[in-house]
Amino acid sequence: MTAESEKIEEPKGLETPQDIPDGWQANIIAFACHYCAFAAADLAGVMRLSYPANVKVVRLPCTGKLDQIYLLRAFERGVDGVFAAG
Amino acid sequence: MIVGEQKPFDEVWEMVKGHKQLTVFGCNTCVAVCHQGGNKEAEILASLLKMRATQEGVDIEIVDGGIERQCEHPFFESAQEVLKESEAVLSLACGIGVQFMAQKYKTTPIYPALNTTFLGDVQEDGYFTEKCQACGDCVLGVTGGVCPVTRCCKRLFNGPCGGSTNGKCEISKDIDCAWQLVVDRLEALGKIKDYEKITPVKDWSKDRAGGPRSFKLEGF
Repeated sequence: MTAESEKIEEPKGLETPQDIPDGWQANIIAFACHYCAFAAADLAGVMRLSYPANVKVVRLPCTGKLDQIYLLRAFERGVDGVFAAG
Repeated sequence: MIVGEQKPFDEVWEMVKGHKQLTVFGCNTCVAVCHQGGNKEAEILASLLKMRATQEGVDIEIVDGGIERQCEHPFFESAQEVLKESEAVLSLACGIGVQFMAQKYKTTPIYPALNTTFLGDVQEDGYFTEKCQACGDCVLGVTGGVCPVTRCCKRLFNGPCGGSTNGKCEISKDIDCAWQLVVDRLEALGKIKDYEKITPVKDWSKDRAGGPRSFKLEGF
């Protein structure tokens, strides 16, 4: 058990911590490469597999096309997490 | 080229947070090469500032833009409209660009987003080293192309000091002794006899000692 004196103070974030409402789900945006991850997602669809509705998939010609600004714009618009697959 | 480093984000935020409108303005030449002040970096910094403004509940309209060079009048033509309508500008140029804009837009506050660090080269991707101090009286011709003003920590002109050890400077093991480099280079050029030539006292009036410098071409 950690002694009281050894505990590291948690950094104070800019945002005030809030209680997470019941049923809240993170808003996730998935950037997927056309040739692999997106094709896999497509195959999953053909197989009638489902994925949660809080994930939105954006197809890229290649994950090499992913740019910092795409991620920042996503966060600016309120996305909670970004998933890059390729 | 001129090398700069972005200021800490909090410092930038403190400078600009009092405005209602801000243009984050990149300079796409020297400071873009070191990935600190180009138009792409301006876009990223603008995005980070927008998120900070949202987090702190501050109402600022932030736009981004940029030109190829903030130190010459003709390049500003494409951005005239954006800059005229700006309440304040956060410039990602070097100190030259920031001052040039401040002189050009007399009633608009221009803030620096970068610390201008040195005149240097690109040793490898993402690694920049200082090579010139613009002393105004170049001696590279007699030192085998190694600048003692910049690369010798003591700016010595006639050989190394007693702190040169195994080709390294006494200031740090990571800094080459400039005079070791000069000797190696003169040997490679077959001009080691030049090392014996005594360099006279340097005319520092051509450096910063003579105040801000300027240069005017005839016929322009």
